[in-house]
Amino acid sequence: MVKDSVTTNSAEHKTDASHTGQTQSHSTATHETAQHSGGEGSDVFSHLFSELGDHNGLIIGPYKVSELPMIFYHDQFYFYPNEKAMEQAGTFSFHHGHPVLTSTLNQKEPQKPSFDLSITNFVFFQWLAMFLIMAVLLFVSRKFKKNPLKAPSGLQNVVDAFYCFVRDGVVKPNIPSARAVKRLSPYFFTLFFFILVMNMLGLIPGGHTATSTVGVTGALAITAFLVINITAMRESGVGAWFKHLLGGAPIYLAPIMIPIEILSMFIKPFALTIRLFANMVAGHVVLLSLLGLLFYFQMFIIAPAIVGFSVFIYVIELLVVFLQAFIFTMLTAIFTGLAIGEHGHEGHAH
Amino acid sequence: MGSAALAYLGAGLGAGITALGAGLGIGILASKALEAIGRQPEATNKIQTAMIISAALIEGVAFFAAVICLLLTLKV
Repeated sequence: MVKDSVTTNSAEHKTDASHTGQTQSHSTATHETAQHSGGEGSDVFSHLFSELGDHNGLIIGPYKVSELPMIFYHDQFYFYPNEKAMEQAGTFSFHHGHPVLTSTLNQKEPQKPSFDLSITNFVFFQWLAMFLIMAVLLFVSRKFKKNPLKAPSGLQNVVDAFYCFVRDGVVKPNIPSARAVKRLSPYFFTLFFFILVMNMLGLIPGGHTATSTVGVTGALAITAFLVINITAMRESGVGAWFKHLLGGAPIYLAPIMIPIEILSMFIKPFALTIRLFANMVAGHVVLLSLLGLLFYFQMFIIAPAIVGFSVFIYVIELLVVFLQAFIFTMLTAIFTGLAIGEHGHEGHAH
Repeated sequence: MGSAALAYLGAGLGAGITALGAGLGIGILASKALEAIGRQPEATNKIQTAMIISAALIEGVAFFAAVICLLLTLKV
């Protein structure tokens, strides 16, 4: 949604650049034009917001650190090490910032490759988060296994505190069955830690927040959806799960209740998706709007105020990073508990 | 007024009304939670957790509206 228009903006920059006879790759073109039009206010915002979208390169500030591969599937796999190689190979070319088949470029609606599996900066930062988590957790678990009787020290304490917080503060109070708590605690801990690290990587200058794309949060929500329903089926039985679709109402209300319950089943992960995505994007948009004001007015006088506000928003972002990771985990735990909590407990509360 | 102007107007008005609703919701929530903590200080932790979750739900609805406003401005 946001992403689409952002890429269109940068595509406009790109066409500008090609008019003047430069054939550069997509992201360098954006940077080029932004330097030209730095003084003209309206372009500043679109350029800044284009930083929020996905790029096929790793850009930190004005520097392009490395290029990321483009991978397409269109009847067969195409692999290009970077954008330039893709344009030179000729099978695909850019149309409004999206890669399309060159043979259909003259048509009104150029054909996109069936699957775009390119490694973008978001994918890179997601992998970075995965790698960090794996490194930390494997290191800590090895230490625990080696010396189970020794008092934990250093990094062990941090991970231990997080784990106990998630297990005792999030999972246990919300999930009624002890068996499910034992089985699901690692999932919830990983979920919390993963979202937290992905959110925090975006606060490092040059970093990108992988959770500010619907793809990432959507995938997390799909796993949450599976966890919720499979746990409910395992704990209270498939029959009880189907009965739950009735919402505890008498059988003659089934035509009303079943659609409502099925809808609510799908709305929950959808709300999780949008909540995390919108929260992460909103913080960046506010921050970049403030910075954009600086370029827009080009006055030194307002700089202290903008810096002050930016730091303030940044601190709020730090809070939001923790809060959103916590809320995503908490809500998944609550929904799991509600889905299980058929037999004996207070029943339904939605 | 052109259709673009109307869309921008709608988006601005929508964002304003969203902020109004969300602010009202979170305000009522905070006032009641503080009242509850005042009555029963020993239940502070439980009340706080419940408060944060409800705040997140209210915020979620507000964000739905905000995303629609954003779409409205970006699609013009």
